[in-house]
Parts: sequence; C-alpha cells; structure tokens
Amino acid sequence: MIRHVRVLLAAHMRDERRAGEVGLVIIPFGVVALLVIPMAVGIDTPLLDRIGPGLFWTVLVLFGVVVTQRQSATVGDARRDVLTLLGVDPAARFAAAALAATILLVVFAAAIALVTVVLYDPAIAGAAWLALLVPLACAGIAMVGTIAVAVAGGLGSRSSLAPLLAVPIAVPILLAAAQATEGLRAGAGILRWILLLAVVDVVLALAGVLTARPLEES
Amino acid sequence: MIKPLDIAAGSVLFTALVLGLLVPPDAVQGDLQRIMYVHVPSAWLAYLSFGLTLVFGVAYLRTRRIRWDHLAGASAEVGVVFTGLALVTGSIWGKPVWGVWWTWDARLVLTAVMFFVYLGYLALRRAFEDPEVRARRAAVYGIVAVAQIPLVHFSVVWWRGLHQPPTVLRPGDPQIDGPLLAALLAAVFAFTVVYAALVSRRAEVGRLEDRAATRPADGAVAGDGISAPPIVGGGR
Repeated sequence: MIRHVRVLLAAHMRDERRAGEVGLVIIPFGVVALLVIPMAVGIDTPLLDRIGPGLFWTVLVLFGVVVTQRQSATVGDARRDVLTLLGVDPAARFAAAALAATILLVVFAAAIALVTVVLYDPAIAGAAWLALLVPLACAGIAMVGTIAVAVAGGLGSRSSLAPLLAVPIAVPILLAAAQATEGLRAGAGILRWILLLAVVDVVLALAGVLTARPLEES
Repeated sequence: MIKPLDIAAGSVLFTALVLGLLVPPDAVQGDLQRIMYVHVPSAWLAYLSFGLTLVFGVAYLRTRRIRWDHLAGASAEVGVVFTGLALVTGSIWGKPVWGVWWTWDARLVLTAVMFFVYLGYLALRRAFEDPEVRARRAAVYGIVAVAQIPLVHFSVVWWRGLHQPPTVLRPGDPQIDGPLLAALLAAVFAFTVVYAALVSRRAEVGRLEDRAATRPADGAVAGDGISAPPIVGGGR
C-alpha cells in the first residue's frame, strides 16, 4: 500500500507541476485577498498587526479548500477504472490525494505567511511551534477538502457544494490554530491546541481511510 | 392517517407546555427563563438527531438497506429545524439578558457552524438523483460531520464566553431547582417524542419520494403529442 501511495503521490505532484494551478492561480488569489482586507477594515497599523495572524489562518482555510479542489486533483472515471483494475486500494488513493494536498497547502501557507509578515508586520513568537502548527493545520484542511471533493465527486455543482461541505467542518482547525497563535503571542501554553489539532487530524485520517471504499463504489 | 405516535407527541408536548407555564419563575430572570423550556430541548434534539444521523448512516453502509438512509436524511432534516430553533430562541433570550441578539461566543458560533454543516449535508442529499449513490455519499459525510457535536458541547468548557456552562449535564449535581428541573426534563422528553414522530413521518415521505422517482411513467406525458416538423429541401 505504501508503494501505491508513493506512486500516486508522485503522479499528483507531476499533474500539479504541469498545471501550475496552485502556484500560478491560487497563491496570487490568496495574496490579493490579503491585500484587499486592509482596505475594507481600515489602514490602521496596530489593528492590522493584531488581526494579521487571524487573517492568515482564515485565508489558509478558505483558499486551502480551493487547493484541495484544484483541477489536477480530479480523478476522471477512466483513471479511476484503471486504478481499480490494477488493484490499487481506495484508501491508498485517499492517502495520496490528501498527502499531495497537504504538501501543496504547506507551500501555499509559506507563501501567504511571507506576504502576511510583509503587509501586516505582526509580532511573531514561537517560530518552532509555528513550524509544527502549520503542517498540522494543513494536513487537517487537506483531509477535509479531499473527503468533501470525493463526496461531491461527479456532480455538476461540485465546485460550489464542496466548499460548503468542507469549510464548516474545518472550523475546529481554524479555531485551534488561531488560538494557538494567540497563545504564542501572549506567552501562554498552547499544548492543548496542538493536541486538538492532532486529534482532529487522526479522526479525519481514520474517517478518510475507512470511508474510501464506499465512496469509490459505482 | 394519524398514528398513535403523533397522538403521543401532541399529548406530551401539551403537558410539557402546561408544566412550563405553571412552574414558578426563575429567582433572577423571572418569566424570561421559561424560554429555556424550548431552547434547551431544541439544543438536545440537535445533538440527538445529528448523532442518530451518524448511526443510521453507519447502519446503511453496513447493511445497504435504503430505509436507514431515509431515517438518516429525516433525522438530519429535523435536526436542522431544531438547531435553527435553538439559535432563534437563544437569540430572543439573549437580547434582554445580554443586551444583544448575537455575540461572538464559542457556543453560539459553533452551533451556527453545526447548522451550516448539516445544511451542507441536506444540500448534498438533494444533489444526487440515484438513491444508492446519495445514501453512500451522505453516510460518509454524516460520519465526518458528527465531530461537531462534542466540539459544540464542550465549547463552554474550553473557551471562556458569555454562554453558561452545562447546568444539567455536568459533573456533580445539577445546578437547578427541583420544580424547574422537572419542567425542563418534561420538555426534553416531549421534544424527543415529537422528534420520533417527525422522523418517522419524514422517512416515510422519503421512501415514497424515492418510489415515485424510480417508477416508470405509466401515462401520457405533457408534450408527447408534439413532434418536430419534417425538414424538407435540405441545406444549400
């Protein structure tokens, strides 16, 4: 199974490299969102410093779902049939799709974090904790989005339905990540938020693996 | 046709309503507190119905009997109605007590999020025509969505906010006077029976909808008699 995951992950990354959807479309779109928000809330430097980290997480969750929905993540009927005939476990397909989305989300998070620092100049504390927090949050968003895309697969309304299915479920991830960042800024302990993120990730991974087979049935 | 469960639901609801109006008012909030006899059972039903949506979904995935899917859909639909009722009654109570219709309290926000999660569940169900595909996809989403319930319940413990911590379902003794507790429990029981009656009816409607959708048309369909005029002469 691990070999299948590795091969499928490489295929996902190759598809994305060819399409360039995250790098050329979704990252610039996220940057535009970070640019537009100060115009709506007012150009107040202390306020922007305070809300900067929260906006970072909000943009990560909202645009993260778009990353999981990218065109290169769509597995057509023909490819799915071939993978089924080759005996590839649907759980391996879920794991590969979620892993690919996680990697792309970490790249997306790094890009918008840089822009957030430049535009909002927030006080950063606990860089080592943030290095743990971001991949944990990205993995959670990736799994929620992958499940939502699979659940809404084959529908004409997929592009509008999948975000409605994914974003509310991703709210615990947003809450835990934002609270942890606030905790770091205030010098408080953030272990329980890290724990909440880890629990959410494990629950989502189990749900994704266990429900992969019924979702693949036709 | 009226079922015995419908009569039972109507009777216990009437009894709970009378009890809720007869018990003495709260020492601090006065009559305003009586809205809790609707708000708390509605919130309880939200948990119950979404929890049972998960149970029915898992039962469908294990047995592949479509009646479990009808029950899951019915339970989610009734749950969304009661979650909406809990939000509205909470807001009506909040205006005179907190001074605002809405506040950014963790319990309120997460309950609203749960409402939208299950609106998404219902939107997903409506998007599929094939009952089997709908049942499978909805069951999977119902499994993932249920994680909202513990989050909503424990939000008052994990985050400091305006919403009071659990009064009845808390470690130790309930922090509520005897007659008020009796009225509250009667309301919870009555709402639960109403839930059972509504789910039973809605699941039956779901079954009939599926049967109507999959049954071949047995009569003339409007437009059958219209045919395109023959094209003569061909193109140039």
